[in-house]
Amino acid sequence: MKRIVRDLILLMIFACPASRAATSEYQLEAVFLFNFTQFVEWPATVFERPDSPLAICVLGEDPFGDMLDNIVRDESVSGHPIIINRYRNASMVNHCHILFFSRSEMQSFKPVLQSLKNSSVLTVAGFEGFALSGGIIRFLVVENKLRLRINMIAMHDAKLEISSKLLRQAELIGHGED
Amino acid sequence: MLRNIPIRRKVMLMMMSVSGTVLLLTCLAFIAYEYHEFRSHSVRNISTLGKLIANNSTAALAFDNADDAREVLAALKAEPNITHAALYGVDGKLFARYPEAAGLQGYPANIAEDGYQFADGALTQWLTVMQDNNHRLGKLYLRADQRGLYTELRNYSLIAIMMTGVALVIAYFLARFLQSQISRPLTALLNTTTAVGQHHDYSLRAEKIGNDEFGQLTEGLNSMLMRIQHQAREVTESNEVVRAIIETASEGIITIDEHGLVEAFNATASRIFGYTLEEVRGKNVKLLMPPQYATNHDEYISSYLRTGEKKVIGIGREVTGKRKDGSTFPMDLAIVEVQLHGRRKFSGFVRDVTQRKEWEAGLQAQMNRLALLNRITRATAERQDLQSIFQVVVRSLEQDLPLDFACICLYDSIAQELTVTSVGVNSGSLAMELAMTEQAHIAIDKNGLSRCVLGYLVYEQDVSLISFPFPQRLAAGGLRSLVAAPLLAESKVFGVLIAARRAVNGFTAGESEFLRQLSEHVALAAHNAQIYRALQQAYEDLRQSQQTILQQERLSALGQIASGVAHDINNAISPVALYTESLLQYEPNLSDRARKYLETIQRAIEDVAQTVTRMREFYRTREPRLDLVQIDLNVIAQQVIDLTRVRWRDVPQESGVVIELQTSFEASLPKVMGAEHEIRDALTNLIFNAVDAMPKGGTLSVTTRVINRQEQNVQDAFVLLEVSDTGVGMDEKTRKRCLEPFFTTKGERGTGLGLAMVYGMVKRHSAELHIESSPGRGTLFRLSFPTAVLSIQDGVRHVQAARPARPLSLLVIDDDPIIIESLTEVLRRDGHQVIAANGGAAGIEMFNNAQRDGGHFDVVITDLGMPYVDGRAVAAAIKGVAPATPVLLLTGWGQRLLAENDIPPHVDRVLNKPPKLEELRRVLAALANSVSTPASHD
Repeated sequence: MKRIVRDLILLMIFACPASRAATSEYQLEAVFLFNFTQFVEWPATVFERPDSPLAICVLGEDPFGDMLDNIVRDESVSGHPIIINRYRNASMVNHCHILFFSRSEMQSFKPVLQSLKNSSVLTVAGFEGFALSGGIIRFLVVENKLRLRINMIAMHDAKLEISSKLLRQAELIGHGED
Repeated sequence: MLRNIPIRRKVMLMMMSVSGTVLLLTCLAFIAYEYHEFRSHSVRNISTLGKLIANNSTAALAFDNADDAREVLAALKAEPNITHAALYGVDGKLFARYPEAAGLQGYPANIAEDGYQFADGALTQWLTVMQDNNHRLGKLYLRADQRGLYTELRNYSLIAIMMTGVALVIAYFLARFLQSQISRPLTALLNTTTAVGQHHDYSLRAEKIGNDEFGQLTEGLNSMLMRIQHQAREVTESNEVVRAIIETASEGIITIDEHGLVEAFNATASRIFGYTLEEVRGKNVKLLMPPQYATNHDEYISSYLRTGEKKVIGIGREVTGKRKDGSTFPMDLAIVEVQLHGRRKFSGFVRDVTQRKEWEAGLQAQMNRLALLNRITRATAERQDLQSIFQVVVRSLEQDLPLDFACICLYDSIAQELTVTSVGVNSGSLAMELAMTEQAHIAIDKNGLSRCVLGYLVYEQDVSLISFPFPQRLAAGGLRSLVAAPLLAESKVFGVLIAARRAVNGFTAGESEFLRQLSEHVALAAHNAQIYRALQQAYEDLRQSQQTILQQERLSALGQIASGVAHDINNAISPVALYTESLLQYEPNLSDRARKYLETIQRAIEDVAQTVTRMREFYRTREPRLDLVQIDLNVIAQQVIDLTRVRWRDVPQESGVVIELQTSFEASLPKVMGAEHEIRDALTNLIFNAVDAMPKGGTLSVTTRVINRQEQNVQDAFVLLEVSDTGVGMDEKTRKRCLEPFFTTKGERGTGLGLAMVYGMVKRHSAELHIESSPGRGTLFRLSFPTAVLSIQDGVRHVQAARPARPLSLLVIDDDPIIIESLTEVLRRDGHQVIAANGGAAGIEMFNNAQRDGGHFDVVITDLGMPYVDGRAVAAAIKGVAPATPVLLLTGWGQRLLAENDIPPHVDRVLNKPPKLEELRRVLAALANSVSTPASHD
């Protein structure tokens, strides 16, 4: 029931051409964030318990509004319910499994990345240089299509396993190629 | 429809249809399976393919990468049957498609629910693309072309049909071959059964092929056929046997149905009734019955069928049958009822019993005759005299056989005539008419009786046809048939039984035979009667002779004793006799009285000697040779009366009993021939008996008289001597026995010999003894002596007193001194020289001495019985020395020696003691003369 309702909402979102222009990119990014939970495996140690929630954190200015909340509502991954944590300040970031860096963090993301090194947090951002700077996944738009760039080293450093299917969709780089 | 086709084709049809059906079904199942499998395989295939594509396209959908999606779909090139493939986004919009070259028209505009669908020769699939099983990413559409599948299916079907066809062809040939396995034995069985059914030939056998059920069936059929064959044979045989039995049965067998119509009629029945089977078949059995039975017969049958009450059936009865010629006959009828297939039949067993009836009648007649024979035999057995036997036979025959005329005649073989002895009571008048009354004589001519008297049974069927006198005599009396049966005893005809009837040929063979047998019985009975009489006579004679022998035995024993006694008495009275005679002769001076006494003594001595002699005669086995002399019975009677006077007068008078004597002597009585002393003794005995019979006194009568008796035309004169008394008399029994020796009524006093001696005397004198007596009336003894016809000699012997011419030298030997003395003295007085020797030994010695000394004895007189050396030895010794010397044996046994011809050897003469002087002189003279001649030669 919930799923049907949610599907209907999703259908309404995608079916609404008026809002698409403004929100289509974030919208898509939000969906992508949720979809990452489907194609990435975290080490078991990151969960305190089997039902410990999987946290998607947004650092900085949240561009998604309630879209992300709507997407992940009642979703779970391998028994782990998905929760959304929003952080304004990098220092407050705690206990995240996916950490999305808002554009507002374009300048200050590197120390955060540095601090999250080896912490098994899938770091995602949509701005330039993120992947090259040690971020794991970067959204980029190619031919008006949202695409992905994945830093394999960072991914390895973060001890995350990303599905080959996902990898097949992305552009794969090492450090400094960005 | 199938039923009527041959089993060969039926089997083939079955096999073909079964195999065809099986093949068809198999093919269909195979094709269906293939079809189904193909489709499921297609589904599985497309499903796998779908899942693979869906799985590979998740990321493409998730991350909105249409290029990647197309790339994924392009991999379907490897699957040529996938004609269309498309991915739709979660929003339902076509996201990517394959093949790119094709237009959009091959793809559905709208998405549908997950699932498969065969349509338009293609399989379509809708599949939701899911990430992590719960996250819908879009829809996958696949379309697979199925035409290849159907082509393949068609190919398969074609192959299957072809295979089926080939299989059916093979099955056909196989079935053709295999059906013969069933149809061949079946046909063989069928052929066999058909042949059996058509020809009823149960000897046929089916060929056995294999050991399967058909084999067993064949075996079963064969064994069944064998059984049937056996049974059929048995049935045939038993039918044959039954038919043969029926045809040859001794009884006539007639089978009728419920309506009385004849169905079967065997040969015996034909013989009995004279009808053939063809003549009676289908006709009512009444034909075989006399009218009185025939009228009711149908009613009998219907009554039985109605009530079931059996009158003849199972019981049997004697009925009357009627032959074809109309004659009737008695027959035994037994009826049995047979129920066959609900129909009732009756079989009658008929036996002509005419002959049996005749036999029964004959048997009955025979039994009657047997009973009659038995009666007659019994009756004759009870009778002993011929007349009575004949009478009972004639009467029984007349009454019970029966006869019109019956008589028995005795046959006189010398006179050749029959004497009618017995005539039946009822035949009496007829006998008168025929002049055949009892004692009538019938001459035997050639009248049939001649054969009868030769021992043959004569049967004349009709005497009127025989012209001889005797048959004509019978015919005149109205008699026609005659049986004359001989009466035979010891193969000799002694009589004839004559039976006659008025009817011509009135005697059956059985009756003739009966008369023959009866005549044998009668003859036997008559013969027996005769024999019985002879036997009675013989028995009587035997009894008499037995009595005589007994008597003689007794007397013999007595005689033995008497002999010894006599010897002693003879010796004892010898001197008396010698001296008395000597005195009378040589003493002339004797007084008259003395002389009379001496003469009485001499007579008494003589009587004693005679008495002694008679005593010895008791045991004689033959008649003594009597020296019969002419006797005057009057003299004898007077003598005896005188001699017995003491007894009849003196002794009774002592006890006051008076016996009166009456004598009646006929003067000039003729002399009789006899022995005086015997008659005297007999008379003495009779007088004694008379006295004893009159213990209370009475009259004693002694009578002599003469009678003349006419016998056999010869006139004889008899002298009767009667002694009678008026005493107690004798009853009949005593009278009959009184003559028996040792029979006495006097108890201890009597010897029982008195009358026996009288009887003996009577017999020896050819006289007769007649006794009349009745109790209380007295007894009369009458002795009848024949008179002496020829006077041979004078009663008194005038013998010239012979004596030796010269004195003789005599040697007297005896063991009794008194005899020696008396004899010596008497002989010396006669002038002889007598030398006496005491005993045999002494006598022989003296004789020898005399011989030696030249002495000589003219005669030796010796006693017989002496101790040690008896008279025989003496005689032998003397003859041994001097054979010419006569030896005179003087013995008390003398009478016996003479009588028995027992004169010992060497003895010349024997003289009895007591010797009579006269006799002695005569003998001596004779001996001396005989010796003197040879002696003169000396």
